[in-house]
Amino acid sequence: MQRSTFGDVTYNWVIGALAGLAVLILIGPVLIVIATSFTTSQTLRFPPPGLSLRWYGELFDPVRSAQIHTAALNSVWVAGIATLVGAVLSVLAALAITRVARPSARFLEASFLSPLILPTLSYGLAALMFFSVLGIRPSLNLLIAGHLVVIAPFVFRTTLASLTQLDPVLLEASANLGASRFYGFRRITLPLIAPGIAAGCFLAFISSMDNVPVSLFLSNARTSMLPIRMWGMMESTLDVRIAAIAGVLILATLVLMIVMDRLTGLTKRMSG
Amino acid sequence: MQQALARQLLKAAVTNSAGIAAILMPTLAAPAAMTAQPLTLDGITHSYGGGLAVDNVTLEVKGGELVALLGPSGCGKTTLLRIVAGFIQQGNGKVTIDGRPIDTLPPNRREIGIVFQNYALFPHMTVAENIAYGLAARGESREVQAQRVEEMLATVQMARFADRKPKQLSGGQQQRVALARALAMRPRILLLDEPFAALDKNLRLDMQIEIKRLQRQFALTAIMVTHDQDEAMAIADRIAVMSQGRIEQLGTPVQVYDEPATLFVNNFIGSSNLLNGQVEAAFEDGYRVALANGAVWSVVSKARFEPGQPVVVSVRPEQMLLADEPAPDRIPVTLKLSLPIGGELIHDVVSASAESIKVAIARRPGISSADMALGGTGTAYCGLADHARPALFSASNP
Repeated sequence: MQRSTFGDVTYNWVIGALAGLAVLILIGPVLIVIATSFTTSQTLRFPPPGLSLRWYGELFDPVRSAQIHTAALNSVWVAGIATLVGAVLSVLAALAITRVARPSARFLEASFLSPLILPTLSYGLAALMFFSVLGIRPSLNLLIAGHLVVIAPFVFRTTLASLTQLDPVLLEASANLGASRFYGFRRITLPLIAPGIAAGCFLAFISSMDNVPVSLFLSNARTSMLPIRMWGMMESTLDVRIAAIAGVLILATLVLMIVMDRLTGLTKRMSG
Repeated sequence: MQQALARQLLKAAVTNSAGIAAILMPTLAAPAAMTAQPLTLDGITHSYGGGLAVDNVTLEVKGGELVALLGPSGCGKTTLLRIVAGFIQQGNGKVTIDGRPIDTLPPNRREIGIVFQNYALFPHMTVAENIAYGLAARGESREVQAQRVEEMLATVQMARFADRKPKQLSGGQQQRVALARALAMRPRILLLDEPFAALDKNLRLDMQIEIKRLQRQFALTAIMVTHDQDEAMAIADRIAVMSQGRIEQLGTPVQVYDEPATLFVNNFIGSSNLLNGQVEAAFEDGYRVALANGAVWSVVSKARFEPGQPVVVSVRPEQMLLADEPAPDRIPVTLKLSLPIGGELIHDVVSASAESIKVAIARRPGISSADMALGGTGTAYCGLADHARPALFSASNP
């Protein structure tokens, strides 16, 4: 067995300390908000004087938290529909762009991805002005349209990545065996890029769920969204239910991640 | 009168039954008795951007024949294959199968089977699903699919691997699956794209035999694309040697090896010694050539040369010999190197005019160098073996 030198030991210590610091900064806030959500106290204070489920009970009370429930359902609905529509549009766009070698395709690719780079805040303001010029009143459908622009690039990017990894010879083989283009898409292309689409949908859904800038400009009192509602509660009352919402969101994200891993892991195994 | 009528009837019956037999025969003996269909390429020309990839290629592949397109990369052989498959629409020319043009058909309606270079098996499907793919696409029932898959798996001896994924198979096994998948569609034509390039050397011969067997069994007209002359020599009925988009020579493996039409074919197929010389005189079926190294050879050739014309004489290493005694048709050489390669001993010798010459001689067991064979003098005389058929090419027109 090789003896570790002084250099090795120092190296391990420094790297270990840096990693520990990173974990502390990343996970610390999550742990604090979760601990706070179980407090017995009336205020958002850390450390909690005692532990209870009282704020979760309060959060799930259908009468007292009706507005939060509406906002949460709005957020899930907008994120779900925007992700679904975004996925269909992105897959179609990615398919077209990988098939065309012209420079115009590269330009389109860049412009489809541009919402990822452009400041979302500017887009939110621009969208609000644009839609009011057109005379369109704020509604859930308008929110879906607004979110769609911001989150579709996530699906587009991951789909594009998996399409460029797809061996074009497989589709030639499919055609050679007498299959139509659509049959080849359904049985070869789609199953092989499905993990990429799923990963993009996951990112898009999460990003829509906690999008503040677009919702800030495009929602009103009737179409309130969860992050905006949380911010409102924070400003006015310092309601501990905010911590409980954060707890629920963290749990939901964890569950989604595990499901995603199972699904893509499964497809990975299916693809050999 | 009656007798004549009876004879007439009998005759009709005989003719008829022969006709019936002819109709029944193919079904009874299928697939071995499926009729092989000829494939014709007529004046195929294709260019990418500015460069001419295929230049006016005409080729007739007879029914049941395997023709190899042999040439270096960029010679147009792969483009030609992709034109036949329908992946590329040729700029000019016609492709016909059994007399019917197929140029307007999309790839999925050509009924041409392909074994792709890296097999192109569908990675997310099992072996059985891969083989059934074309049948499923065509809308065949599950029973028909299952039956055909079982039959094809048996044909390529892969029955035990039906439920494996392609990644769990070796290269040779993947190729068997690729063959089964193509043959399951009962194609009219089989195209093989560098079929042995990805295989271990030891496995190649086995797969060459296997492909030849299946091609015969299914009476398939086949085109194989390869840059490897050994592969082409091994399984092709005829070889089309290609260079710069054209067919340089079309012939049986023995023809292109023994009687190369051009210096390119000569150099591309097998190894050869190129010796400079000058035509001295013509005789009935050839020429007397004075080599630059001093030897004088009689070379059989049908081509036309003028006395005094500079020429290149090409001799295969295995058609040369090393001797102890000098002679007018022998070149004095010094031995540089001897390599025992399997059953042959390859000697690298150098003539007085500094030409490097390779001589291959059948090796006797225990012998590993020429010194032992020649008695250890180090100087030898290099000449033509009795069976030698040197080829003659014009030096000005390589």
